[in-house]
Amino acid sequence: MTFLLESGYAFWNPLIWIIVFIVLAVIVYFFRRRGQKGYKKDTDQTRIFLCGEEVPEAGERHIRVGNIYWGFFETLKEYYEQILKPHTGIINDYILWFVAITAVSVIVLLAAGLG
Amino acid sequence: MSLKSFKRALWVYHLNTGSCNGCDIEILAVLTPRYDVERFGIKLVGSPRHADVLLATGPVIKQMVTRVERIYEQTPDPKMVMVIGNCGIEGDVFHESYNLAGPIDQIIPVDVYVPGCPPRPEAIIHGVAMAWVKLEKLAKQEVV
Repeated sequence: MTFLLESGYAFWNPLIWIIVFIVLAVIVYFFRRRGQKGYKKDTDQTRIFLCGEEVPEAGERHIRVGNIYWGFFETLKEYYEQILKPHTGIINDYILWFVAITAVSVIVLLAAGLG
Repeated sequence: MSLKSFKRALWVYHLNTGSCNGCDIEILAVLTPRYDVERFGIKLVGSPRHADVLLATGPVIKQMVTRVERIYEQTPDPKMVMVIGNCGIEGDVFHESYNLAGPIDQIIPVDVYVPGCPPRPEAIIHGVAMAWVKLEKLAKQEVV
């Protein structure tokens, strides 16, 4: 059993990947073992260095992804408020919207065809 | 001087606690080609978490007290603290100023004092060598 997958142009073998992973893990372990062992756990020695400043909580020190769009949200706030109301999350409401818009479209198309 | 217990290059973190920059310029001179301490393995690093020695300059202004304490705590053991310049040792021209919390040895323990305003680069190198010897002794105690 070789586990070899061939496409005609290339091959893929999980055994090779496992061997590569093991070799990399050994290299990482080797360098990690040579590292500084003097750090005392649960003291400032293992905490983040921020030029001597107190490090804020994780949620406070990162700019949340939503902040990137703050300008858009602020400008289009009124539009969002209106558009959020019909988005109830209830499937019956969405089907009702679908039926209503289809009915209006059919009426418009029929009216246009008759005209 | 032969080092048997502390068998690695000496990494140093420079901590300015409110210095006029005179001592800092001399520390910079120690790194320039004329003195070139990196040939001895003495290297300035950007984080106390990577350092063996804290090079402290300045008389410690009040706003710096918690920072100095935190930086000292963040330095792994065994560690040494070197004070460069008269300001850090006893305040010098800023002695008894309303804005000072120092000198440095009132905030954190100091191992090596290098006096001068500013001290010459040779004196700083000598101080670092003294700190290195002291670290060697500390490392030896830990090994034993």
